[in-house]
Amino acid sequence: MNGWQLIRRTEPREWGSVAVFATAFAVSLAICALLLQVQGHNGAGGVWLLLKGGFGHVYSYGEILLKAIPIFLCSLGVALCFRLQVWNIGAEGQYVIGTLGGCWFVLNFPGLPAWLVLPGTLAAAMLSGGIWAGLAALLRQRWGMNEIISTLMLNYIGIEILNHLIYGSWRDPAAMNQAVGPYFPPAAVIGRIWDSDFWLKHGVSEGTADFFFQFFGRAHWGVLSCILAGLLCSFLLRKSRLGYEITAAGSNPRAARTAGISYNRLVILVMFLCGALAGLAGFQECSANLERLEPNIVMGYGYTAVVVAWLARLRIMRIALFTLVLAGLRFGVENIEQDLQISHAFANTLEGIILITVLAGQLFNDYKISRKGRPAASGATGGEERGS
Amino acid sequence: MSADACKGKPLIRLEGISKHFGKVRANHDITLDIRAGRIKALLGENGAGKSTLMSVLAGRLQPDAGRILLGGNPVFFRSPRDAHQAGIGMVYQHFMLIDSMSVADNVLLGQEKSLTLNPRDMQRRVAELARRYGLDVDPAAKIGTLSMGERQRVEILKLLCRESRLLIFDEPTAVLTPGEARRLFVSMRSMAEQGKAIVFISHKLPEVLEISDEISILRRGEVVDGFERANVPGEAELARRMLGRDLSLNSGPEAAHVAAPANAPASISRADPAEAVLPGLEEEIPPPVPEPRPMGWLGTDRQLSLEAAIYNRSQRAGENGQPEAEPAVPGDGNLNIEGVKRRGRGKLVAETEPVLALAGVNCRVPDSAGLTDIALSVAKGQILAILGVAGNGQKELVEIICGLRRADSGRVSILGRDVREFHANQPSRGGLGYIPEDRRGSAACPDLNLVDNFLLTTRKLFSRWGIMDYKRARQVTRRVISEHNVQPDDSKVLARALSGGNLQKLIVGRELVRNPRCIVAENPTQGLDVAATEEVWQRLRVARETSGVLLVTGDLNEGLTLADYLAVMYRGRIVDIFSIHNQAKVEQIGLMMAGAIAARQDAYGGQGCAPDPAGD
Repeated sequence: MNGWQLIRRTEPREWGSVAVFATAFAVSLAICALLLQVQGHNGAGGVWLLLKGGFGHVYSYGEILLKAIPIFLCSLGVALCFRLQVWNIGAEGQYVIGTLGGCWFVLNFPGLPAWLVLPGTLAAAMLSGGIWAGLAALLRQRWGMNEIISTLMLNYIGIEILNHLIYGSWRDPAAMNQAVGPYFPPAAVIGRIWDSDFWLKHGVSEGTADFFFQFFGRAHWGVLSCILAGLLCSFLLRKSRLGYEITAAGSNPRAARTAGISYNRLVILVMFLCGALAGLAGFQECSANLERLEPNIVMGYGYTAVVVAWLARLRIMRIALFTLVLAGLRFGVENIEQDLQISHAFANTLEGIILITVLAGQLFNDYKISRKGRPAASGATGGEERGS
Repeated sequence: MSADACKGKPLIRLEGISKHFGKVRANHDITLDIRAGRIKALLGENGAGKSTLMSVLAGRLQPDAGRILLGGNPVFFRSPRDAHQAGIGMVYQHFMLIDSMSVADNVLLGQEKSLTLNPRDMQRRVAELARRYGLDVDPAAKIGTLSMGERQRVEILKLLCRESRLLIFDEPTAVLTPGEARRLFVSMRSMAEQGKAIVFISHKLPEVLEISDEISILRRGEVVDGFERANVPGEAELARRMLGRDLSLNSGPEAAHVAAPANAPASISRADPAEAVLPGLEEEIPPPVPEPRPMGWLGTDRQLSLEAAIYNRSQRAGENGQPEAEPAVPGDGNLNIEGVKRRGRGKLVAETEPVLALAGVNCRVPDSAGLTDIALSVAKGQILAILGVAGNGQKELVEIICGLRRADSGRVSILGRDVREFHANQPSRGGLGYIPEDRRGSAACPDLNLVDNFLLTTRKLFSRWGIMDYKRARQVTRRVISEHNVQPDDSKVLARALSGGNLQKLIVGRELVRNPRCIVAENPTQGLDVAATEEVWQRLRVARETSGVLLVTGDLNEGLTLADYLAVMYRGRIVDIFSIHNQAKVEQIGLMMAGAIAARQDAYGGQGCAPDPAGD
């Protein structure tokens, strides 16, 4: 617009970026309301339903937690890569291959003692996801292949391998005409956080047990792996020399090389870590939620993770925060899909609109708006969308 | 009288310009007139705000306050393009040219209005323009084949072709040989006579005195003085005003602030007290010698300044009371023993081993002369200066030593170990210190704070079992910042906020913290002001006590001021290596740098300056 201009901020916002996010989120909801209205629904009511379903119900939290687990793990890995300026967008494929690695272990070692099954499967999942990501790192280093292209392509290949197995040798004949794997033995299933039977036996009243049953819903003990991974990553980046080297090399690869930091070694490392985290996320989702291999393990969490990492500006605490918000959003959209009887495609569109608006709002983290021809006063806020 | 002569309306007036970067005040309420037909010099220390001010004028930065008046009308530049269209052009230190295209193509890039191009007509136009301003360059030549001086002329032609009315030169002589610098001044004068306004940024006072019609001095973001050609004081007075000694004497807190670094430093105390004098304190601690310290300025007459520098050099040797060393070839056993006698400390065994040795090193590099049969050695207590015009293989040489490039053949050893093995397992202390030429690009992370930048090469000193000790790193960084007088003295600011000179001080401090036994310094004072240059030189002199220094420099004066031995490089070969005391050779340096004297095959080849590789 004439008379206004964008000026780059000399200092980036700190927590002000949360305010920018909130503003952009509000704008995106307004757009959603408009679209719902055009489709013949009550726009404001629909958005209210979305928010209430996503964040306002007792059963929302368990679902948020359930969805947050894979998004958080994938996002941590993606953030590590992005810190090094390695644009790995392949968390989705690594998630799938990790799932397959875990399933392979479950299916091939049925005779193991029960206490070994879960650690073994989780290790297999992390290893396979890590190797899948390492493949892209190898392609980059050996033949200079751009990791954005290679990780994206590896996503498709990973999903096709899943399809190949599930329609082929891993298909459970007992499942009749469904393309699914056999159910896991109990030792390979990650338990839910709230086990009503257990607590009722230990003298918890039925009402309380019922409340917690609703509150925790399907959320499982994978939450522990999130806490552990978050703490470890935090420690890695803040305290360790390796983390310092990742930060420095990400900030200026040439200076890092000059200082004797091996950039290539770090690339392999962060890619492997990202793949391992994504693989862990995939198998946990498969084991706790589905209890067998199913094609709909592929939920797009790996892509949501990229958005979360970016929104959080690669900071771990913020990744946790944005993960919960986006998980709630996802659940909210699923909610109105059922309540308003709108199509799945339209629900996906709404989710896409929210993400793209929020990402576009990031502009105001780095730029401010001021009147043309007049020196900018510092402190322009993110709310001044009208100028852009 | 000249004050009256230029009373006309200024072409451009900067009025009350202020610019802050966070807490750093780069420009404060600057008002400046720039007139057509005159050459205005901007003088100031690193970080005085010259570059910021010119970036504002060239549209790269927007001021926080103030305005720019063009012919009396206020204008606002949102981008360099706006400034271009208003007739303001800047010749940057780093040229923006396309190597694979011809001179005419580069000059007219984006200027041609028609869809089809007529190369012959383009070349004719460029040749005409070049003739008019005395900027001799072949319009048909490819940029890749040109010298730095010729490339600079192409940059200037680009601006002239766009009919720029104001040309800003940011330290234009830094990349030039003395002869090229002279020709540039003739062209600048010719441009001014034909009505162009010229702003000239430089640290070299004799240049400024020779070429400029008026001089403005910036200090701490403010214009503190302005002179017409007729009433310009001498160099010494200009330097005083630039450094702001009055300021440090008059205002209490400021003085205390400047004085602080002198009280604490541990490393300075090793030096000759006279040499530890920091700018702003010269009056409080009278130097024991009446002679002024050799300054890093090249005279306008190269031959004269060469003699002056040689004179300074012998003065320095005399005042330190050192016996004149017999000229010897580096690597010669005698020299090292002599070095022990001279310094009177250290173990004899350790001294005889060169800290850095190259023998028969060859390296092919596309689009460059590469390296041919390089042999040299540096022992503890020596500074060996590699002299030469930029682009004659110095960069490749340094990269090989620093493990960033592999030689095709030959032996390179650092502290008696093969270079690859050395870099694979570098000691965290007492190893190799490297001060790269490109400070921002390869020695710093602009978006990280000073502690993180400090840790870049010292990280292993501050970690145990892979865990960083940031608390101790912060303490040591603060100490280095105050010892080396880095401004702003806040370890939390981003490296981006530091001026070139202050960043360099931090980098030098960082490299010296590890007590390296071998130091590679690549044009360490390029773009630095007088005070910062002196400080860096002083650090290197002190460092020589405990290590061997390879100094790569394009500045003859720097080599003559610091080095014990000189090597001249031309087209990837070492033309000759000789002692600083070899007067006959020293006088020929200019010719060697220009390639007028062929490399002597026997200059070093078989004289045993290569280390014995068997000594692992």
